[in-house]
Amino acid sequence: METKKKGLTLAGKQLAAGWLFLTPATLLIFVMSFWPMIQAFLTSFKSGKGVNIHWADPLFVNYTRMLQDTMFIQAMKNTFLYLIIQVPIMLILAILLAQLLNNKDLKFKGFFRTCIFLPCATSLVSYSLIFKSMFATQGLFNTILVNLGILKENFNFLGTPWSAKLVIILALIWRWTGYNMVFYLAGLQNIEYSVYEAAKIDGANGWKTFWNITVPLLKPTIVMTFIMSINGTLQLFDESVNLTKGGPAGATMTMSHYIYNQSFGQGVGNFGYTSALCFVVFILVAILAVINLKVGDTRD
Amino acid sequence: MKKKLLSLVLVSAMATSMVACGSGAATTENGSTGSAPAATEGEAGGHKLTLWAWDESFNIPAMQAAAEDYKEVDPEFELEIITQSQSSDVENAITNAGQSGDFSNLADITLFQDHYFQQFCVNYPDAWVSVDDAGVDWNGLGAEKLSYSTVDGVHYGFPVDAGTAIMAYNTEYLAAAGYTLDDVQNITWDEFIEIGKKVKEATGKYLLCMDGSGNDFFYMMCQAEGVSQWKDGQPYVTENQTLVDIFTVQAKMAQEGVLYLANDWGDYTDQAIVGDMVAGVYNGNWIIPTIKKVESNAGKWEIVPAPTLTGKPGYASNGGSSLYITSNCQNTELAKAFLAYTFGGGSAADGTSLTYDNALLNGGVIGTCAAAAKSDVYQAGVDYFNGQAIYADIVAYTQNVPVIEQNDYHYTLREKLSNHLISVVNGEEDIDAALAAAEQETVFAMQE
Repeated sequence: METKKKGLTLAGKQLAAGWLFLTPATLLIFVMSFWPMIQAFLTSFKSGKGVNIHWADPLFVNYTRMLQDTMFIQAMKNTFLYLIIQVPIMLILAILLAQLLNNKDLKFKGFFRTCIFLPCATSLVSYSLIFKSMFATQGLFNTILVNLGILKENFNFLGTPWSAKLVIILALIWRWTGYNMVFYLAGLQNIEYSVYEAAKIDGANGWKTFWNITVPLLKPTIVMTFIMSINGTLQLFDESVNLTKGGPAGATMTMSHYIYNQSFGQGVGNFGYTSALCFVVFILVAILAVINLKVGDTRD
Repeated sequence: MKKKLLSLVLVSAMATSMVACGSGAATTENGSTGSAPAATEGEAGGHKLTLWAWDESFNIPAMQAAAEDYKEVDPEFELEIITQSQSSDVENAITNAGQSGDFSNLADITLFQDHYFQQFCVNYPDAWVSVDDAGVDWNGLGAEKLSYSTVDGVHYGFPVDAGTAIMAYNTEYLAAAGYTLDDVQNITWDEFIEIGKKVKEATGKYLLCMDGSGNDFFYMMCQAEGVSQWKDGQPYVTENQTLVDIFTVQAKMAQEGVLYLANDWGDYTDQAIVGDMVAGVYNGNWIIPTIKKVESNAGKWEIVPAPTLTGKPGYASNGGSSLYITSNCQNTELAKAFLAYTFGGGSAADGTSLTYDNALLNGGVIGTCAAAAKSDVYQAGVDYFNGQAIYADIVAYTQNVPVIEQNDYHYTLREKLSNHLISVVNGEEDIDAALAAAEQETVFAMQE
């Protein structure tokens, strides 16, 4: 009886200690994240600017307004184009690189891994500016292509809609492939080598080993990188702002960039409308993450 | 051992960063306590003001000139000029202060873009201080310029630069195609295109350039015709034959390789102008310091009024700014006295003004004060422009700039027209559809 009571108090103590440790973080998250989110949600039902802000009439006007906002729809299309093209290419490259660099017999592994991870250590702004100068009309790529005779005259990469999008996708792949590769490397190192040996004995070739052993065992990592990449791409901002300023004619503008432009730097911001736009992005991220989790979940 | 060393390094790094954070907090505290004495000092008749401005080759020398000038009145006067990287930094700071209702981080005085002031004044009225009682003879300053800084008949700003547009040509490139400066005066835009094609053929240079994402030609070319892009507060686009013609001419210029539409502002200044890709520049006169950056072209440039649709000389203005006192200023008496004496034209009353003369000499800033323009500095020839007395010429242009209807959504319309012009040049849209879409998108943006 007594021991049981003592056990209870111990559990109670642990519970209390747990809450004690959790409280500061919980409070901070509530004050710094959740409270502003609630405020932003309320703001999304307001219209007007500056001191003239008031409850919108009708209340959902900001949410219905965006359906007619051609620029926002364009930005949404752009963002999804980046998502559909860039994320799969990047993740496939990352998994292939991880597979290569996980090879036991490879020399200078550390060196190669560092090289591929290094882009992630550069700041988003500086790498965007470097890509911008490389692809400028008088930039490195134009000089090389013209001197090689591939181009007749300098091509305005960042001023042509399709090539500007391509440059952003290239930049994103360069910047983020190494980052995702590190997750796959970590995942690969958790796979027992004996599994591969068994497959070898059974006569599986490299391709079959990859699809039937590596991919299934890496599934949790793949789902995680997918969610992170989708989340990151939907909130893409720096590249659009610094590389192309959303141009030409809004052809490369992302949703976050459009939201920023509506709030700052282009006159007095319309914060009610931009808050509503933010919540649409939030809902999109949530929906895509849920789909991803459902698809990735193999438990029945 | 190695691990111990590493952990030691990490721990010390953390400790340093914490100390740094601690001292960071201390400085903010110092900052706030620091401003308190400044406030009391201000009430007691202090001699120091802070000022935000941007553009080190243009506005900052003008501010320094004003500070120096006011020392003649108040020898202890001190102006702390805080350089901002671009005009939108100031706009964002006002937005942040206005949204939070905390104006304590603003400078006493700030430079502000003319086209944006009206909407910032209407939406954040608590950020600004009226300067009606500053004792300025407003009639001595440019009327067109003052219309930007006056809201409901109340004066808020002191005009800095006139923003009068200039059409500058590189005469060497013109000569290479067989033209002189006389051939490009009093011409229509269609004649301009023909000259541009020859220049492109002879030299490979574009005769004109503009930032394609923020295209100011619509505004300037319309103003030169005496037409506004606005009618009764609404965008005046598809029905406005002048604007339709201007849009068409620009599309033609871009397609014929006469006009280079840069990707953004940096591309416009650094690649097109400083990169010597062009034989002509059409913009507010604040673009002159940028043109002058190409030292090898000294003596080759000259300025004239711009072409128009009809061939009469085109006079316009674009993108000047003015100085405003913010509500955070604790010493508004000093700020008003300082601004009235300098950019309010006080010191120019006796014929020579250190402010206007030095602003022009050091920054190329051309004021709107009629009295100041009589000084020798304004009349002198400029070597870079082949000895032409460009400042006197620009002051003369200023007199001819028509006053046209303005609107808070000036930049919104500019962005829409710019974007649709690029779509037309890229062959994605026809002109009628582009103009209709630009108008409709602007109307949409105004319904907020």
